[in-house]
Amino acid sequence: MNSVGEACTDLKRDYDQCFNRWFAEKFLKGDRSGDPCTETFRKYQRCVQKAIKEKDIPVDGVEFMGPNKDKPES
Amino acid sequence: MKIWSTEHVFSYPWETVIKAAMRKYPNPMNPNVVGVDVLDRSLDTEGRLHSHRLLSTEWGLPGIVRAILGTNHTQTYVKEHSIVDPEEKKMELCSTNITLTNLISVDERLLYRPHPDNPEVTILTQEAIITVKGVSLSSYLEGMMARRMSANARKGWDAIEWIIQNSERENVPLCDIY
Repeated sequence: MNSVGEACTDLKRDYDQCFNRWFAEKFLKGDRSGDPCTETFRKYQRCVQKAIKEKDIPVDGVEFMGPNKDKPES
Repeated sequence: MKIWSTEHVFSYPWETVIKAAMRKYPNPMNPNVVGVDVLDRSLDTEGRLHSHRLLSTEWGLPGIVRAILGTNHTQTYVKEHSIVDPEEKKMELCSTNITLTNLISVDERLLYRPHPDNPEVTILTQEAIITVKGVSLSSYLEGMMARRMSANARKGWDAIEWIIQNSERENVPLCDIY
């Protein structure tokens, strides 16, 4: 699966592998020991946030709608 | 505004289903999802895992449709918030589109839990609120969207089953495929 930023796909893959392993083998088994993925996540995030800015993706503008809320137009 | 909801039972235990749900993309049933990124992930004080993700979808809209919609973009984006509670065995996902919001709003909520009558299997409750804006025939279009969502929901269930079965067949634990 690709990242929304094409250049970030390899970093995403590294992070996903780390996360999926931690999720299945630690988190779901009740092991609360530290998250081994913080460094991989940081590198991946730097890339993704840059891509989001470049593509002008409105990630911050929208709250999840409740029944009476309106989204800002975009 | 149209409200749509459905339920589905997976014949697998909750842990198996949510491991697959966390790794749902890519899969052959949802080829329109072309990008997935994690924006944020954290544990709350109750030990629940929160994830915020961005999904990009490519519908292959022909140029004329894009011209009518008034958009140059070929991809639409969806923001998703998920919460996994390993104590209560609940996984909840809420998603909403963040582009084309002047035309349509699709808010979806999914909840995966062990089935109350049989804890060896998993029940998925899925609901959506669809609102088409600023267009006449909006209730007709909303009805159409709801039917499309039913068809897509079925694909989504098949996708989860596909992920689970492909892991079982290769005898690989649900974590090292990608």
